[in-house]
This record gives sequence, structure tokens and C-alpha cells, in this order.
Amino acid sequence: MSALSSRLFEREVIVCVGAGGVGKTTVAATVALQAALSGKRAIVLTIDPARRLANALGLAELGNQATRVELPDAPGELWAMMLDLKRSWDEFITRTVSTEHRDAILRNRFYQTLSSSLAGSQEYIATEKLYELHSSGRWEVLVLDTPPTQNALDFLDAPRRILDFLGNKPLRRLLAPALVAGRFGLRLFQMGGKAILEGLSRLTGIETLEELARFLVEIQPTYDAFKERAAKVRELLASDRAAFLLVTTAHGTPVEEAISFHRMLVEAKTNVAAVIANRVHVDHLGELSLPSPEELADELLREGVPDSGQPALSERLARTLREMRALASLDARNLERLAASVHPTPQVRVPRFPADVYDLAALRMVADHLFSRS
Amino acid sequence: MSRLARRLHVVIGKGGVGKTTVSAALGLQLSRAGRRVLVAEVRVQQIPRLLGAEGRGYEIVRIADRLEAISLDPKEAMREYALMRLHSKLLVRSLLENRVVTAFLGFIPSLPELVMLGKLLHCVRTGEWDTVIFDAPATGHGLTFLGVPQALRDAVPPGALRSEADWMQEILVDSTATAVELVTLPEELAVNETLELAEKAGQGLGLPLGRVLLNRHVPLRFSDEELKRLEVGIASEKLAAASRAAREHEIRARRSRHFEERLRSSLSLPLVTLPMLHPERAFGRAEIEALAERIEAAS
Repeated sequence: MSALSSRLFEREVIVCVGAGGVGKTTVAATVALQAALSGKRAIVLTIDPARRLANALGLAELGNQATRVELPDAPGELWAMMLDLKRSWDEFITRTVSTEHRDAILRNRFYQTLSSSLAGSQEYIATEKLYELHSSGRWEVLVLDTPPTQNALDFLDAPRRILDFLGNKPLRRLLAPALVAGRFGLRLFQMGGKAILEGLSRLTGIETLEELARFLVEIQPTYDAFKERAAKVRELLASDRAAFLLVTTAHGTPVEEAISFHRMLVEAKTNVAAVIANRVHVDHLGELSLPSPEELADELLREGVPDSGQPALSERLARTLREMRALASLDARNLERLAASVHPTPQVRVPRFPADVYDLAALRMVADHLFSRS
Repeated sequence: MSRLARRLHVVIGKGGVGKTTVSAALGLQLSRAGRRVLVAEVRVQQIPRLLGAEGRGYEIVRIADRLEAISLDPKEAMREYALMRLHSKLLVRSLLENRVVTAFLGFIPSLPELVMLGKLLHCVRTGEWDTVIFDAPATGHGLTFLGVPQALRDAVPPGALRSEADWMQEILVDSTATAVELVTLPEELAVNETLELAEKAGQGLGLPLGRVLLNRHVPLRFSDEELKRLEVGIASEKLAAASRAAREHEIRARRSRHFEERLRSSLSLPLVTLPMLHPERAFGRAEIEALAERIEAAS
């Protein structure tokens, strides 16, 4: 089994990806912590951390503010920021759109889709924010905890989807005459593509069409700025300044998802530094055979521990060991399949701790498993 | 018949808490109690496989007596919705194969959620099944789904979309028809999210809440006294491993009880604990059966 090396911190940008509920935030925070301990100025950008972890990192309720985490023994610096994705979109629009169109855009329902529910929009703005902070030069290592994604493609496809959304040429051409005239409503139906527009209006209503037309006019100035920026973000993520960490648990479904995520990341020519298997059940018996209750009863007797209770202590211990072995061997089988599927990407395992990981001390414990000491 | 059975059970929770497993178990339990059950999931097809059947695209799959499954797909649901509106297969085909149209439809806020929810609630309405179980997407997206009819009623003028939203909302807020089942784990993050979810779904969206299903629950097994005796000076390797396993077991068990109590005191909802299972092979039909029995016993 391998571990991450601190050579990882030669990368300026580290992106943690994976399904929801696998512990991405913990891994991202641990990586940034380790970077600080190895002398780097590091920041972790998280989306929706557990409250206690947020407290441990000193994260305020307010989003998009970098907060320094006190680490007296670290030669580097640890910073944390909770990303507010909606606000990041609003800031992006404010930066790129002239004042006369700005308010209309921020109110438009299509902008609401763009900034909140369009597949990939959260992923995109998170990487855009990452790019902005990277450009500022304030930090040497930036670790991004991505939003839970159903599909790795949502993440990689994000810029293309957004560009499609902002600069859809066929749609623009269809609506252009009405846009130029500055008039909407029934005028739409006097143009080419009449059948299509009629069909559409029966599905969604004419008001929706009008609102879309307005949105396309207002967003136009943003399009070129966005396109340029998206290309730069993409370039950074595909360069050797960036590394991806694919996080999963050892459960069947997340492992399947991790395998397909990995394939997509590799196809997209990104640099996957490691697959991190989090919360892996450990068999404390190791290579030893599973003891029967009788065997344990004998040993209890030898150690002078009373085998009391109902069921007897020896029986309960044997059962606990049996359950532990079942969980550990199921995990081991899933992780072997994962390792074979992502070869030669190294797999790093972090054991499941009996309690949740919520403070800096616990993050250091995770770091001990994640990183080799060399 | 279970007093907890409704026409629609929405199974919701944070990613990774076991929503799909619980949906399958609930489906098995209700179908065994004599109800005709349809289990619906979004975009994926995990439930037939979990229960040892084969999925077949977007057709309804028969899994067992009175138990069927369906996978909701945005494109397929859009096609069905368009057909309902336009009454012409030819028109629907030419529209939905048009790049401009598909691009346009992709922009409409929450349209995929609306048409999929429409398909789901149509299944509830037909009466072909006594109970429909919806394995909803994880928290945020799940709430978006359930909030779509209300959002549309607020945002859209009367018309085609608005009348869709009206009948859908009527089923969703009817406490004799619908129950939102909250699946969670004995962990801080999952429990916090469940409490927020209950608030947002209940007070926020006005949806009737059903039960809390606390998954991967670990039972108390060792006393402090026993753990202390096992802690010191154990020479036997196996007993030392057993001691360690027992200590970890008990930490989890006590956390299970702690979070169970927290959920009980914060939410006045029935709570069902579903035990942590330890399958010898992969997690599958036998495990779902065990959970179904547990749900039945608690009903």
C-alpha cells in the first residue's frame, strides 16, 4: 500500500473529486494541513463542511473569505475558505458585465439556472474561484474540495456547458430578428422557425421564450470574457501545475463511481496523483485466524478476565471479531478491484476511525495515514 | 396492512447514507404486506440489481410479486410530457430532435426535474400501484426536485406549466397520500443535515414527514467494566485484537445511541433503527431482506 509523498506539493493546485459522502472535505483539509506542515503557504477551499470541521478551521458563516488557521508548530501557513458558489457567480457577473445590464441579468430566471442548477455550473465557478486565487499569488498550494458530483463529466464538461448556454448560436440566430426589433411576443411567430417556436411555446409558454431572448442579449458582453477565462482555467487544470485526488470509500457503489470517474479524468488528460480510499475497515486480527468463542473463553481464563454476561463476553468478542473481519474483507475485495481498474494510479488507504474526524488533531491522524514520513 | 403505508414515499437524505438500500427494503416490505409497489430512481438503475433482477433501460422492471422498479430519465420524461401536450408523435419527434429546441429546453430552470417528477406523480395518480417509492437524489438536489412545483407556481403565469405544477403540488402536500422518509447515519454531519432537511421539507415546502430511518446503527454490546478489564496487560494476540475491536465497536455503539437520542428529541417523528450489516459476500438481496424485516417489525 502506498502513501502520498510531499512531492505532491510541487503542484500548485490540488483538486479533490469524488461522489457525495465519501469524505472529500476531510481529505482536502488534511492535504492543505500537511502542505502547511511541510512549509508551504496553503489554502483549502471547501463547499459545505461539517459544522465542527468548519469551526476547527475557523471558518466563518460568511463565504468567500480566507481565514488563517492557527498552527503554532507549522513552518508554513494554513488558510481556509468556505466557497459561496452563488456569490462567486454574482461577483463574476459584476466583474464582467457593464452596470446597465447587470441588475437585469442578476434577476433573470435563466441566470438563476446558470448560477445554481445548470449541471456543471457549481463545478465551474468553484474552479473559476480557484483560478482567481491562484492568480493572486498569495498561496503556494491551493486545495479545492469540489461539490458532490453525480458524474465526473459534469465537472470536466462544465466550461463547455456554460459556453453552450451563453453562446448558443442556433438559438441566437432564431431569436435574433426579434432581439433586434426589441420586441417580443407574437412577433416571434412571424419569423422563420415558426413551427419550432410554436411547438416550444405550447410546451413552456411564450413568456419563457421572451425571457430567454432578453437574457441572450444581456449576457452577450460576458460571453467573450467568459470564453477566454474558461480556456485559462482549463489550461491550468490540465497542466502539470495541477493534480487531482480521487476520493472514495470502499463501499461497492462509490468504488464503481470512482472507477468511472478515474477513466474520465484520464481521458481528459488530467493528472490523477492518487485514488484515496477513505474510511476503510481494518481487521485488527491481521493474518491471525478467527477465534471461536471457546478459544477466546480459554484465553480470558488465562488472562484472569471473567467470562461473564449474557451472552458471555467470549461469545460477544468472537462475534465482534467476525463482524470486523466480514467488513474488512468486503472492503479489501472492493479495493483490489479498484486498484486493478485504476492501475497504475497509486491507491492510498485511510482507515475508518471509530469517531468522526472533526478537529485538527484528528486531521493530523488522517495525515499520518495519507502521507509517508519520508 | 401497515398503518404507515401511503401512496407515495419519498426517500431522502445525504449522499452515501443508504437511500437506495432503504428504498429497496421499503419496497420489499410493502409488497410483502400485500401492496402493489413501484420503486423509482433517477437516471440510474441500481434497485433491480440490488434485488437480484436485471434492469432494462427505461421500461418498468418486474422484481418480485407486486414489486416493480423504474428508472426516471430526463429525456424520456420530456418526450412523454411533450406527447401529452402536443398530441402528435411526429411533432414531438421533430421538436425534440431539433438542436435548438433541446438547447432551449436545457436552459429552462428545473424543467428536467419537473418532467421527471411529473412522470413519478403520474404513476402515483394512475392507481396501477398502491404505493410508489421515490429514491430521491441527495439532499440539495432532492429538495430542488420536491420544490419544483411550488417554485413554478410562484414564478410562472397561469398556463401549461402552471397547471402541471398545481396537480403535482396537491399530491405532494397531501398528508394522507405522501410521506417523506428521512434516511440518516449515526454521524454528526448526516444528523445535522437530516435536521435541516426535515425543516426545509416540512416547514419550508409543506411536505408531510414520515419516519426517520437511522441506518448502520450499532447496538451496545460491552460494559465499561468489561472494556477496562480487557485494556490492560493482555498477552494473547487474539485477545488483544478482540479488545481493540470491542473498544471500537462500543465507541460506534455509543455514538449510535447518542445520535438516536438526538434525532428523537429534535424531531417528533417515528424512528426506525436499521442495523449495521456484515455481509460475508457482497451487499445484496439477503441484506435488503434483513432490513425489510426490520422495517416490518417496526411498522
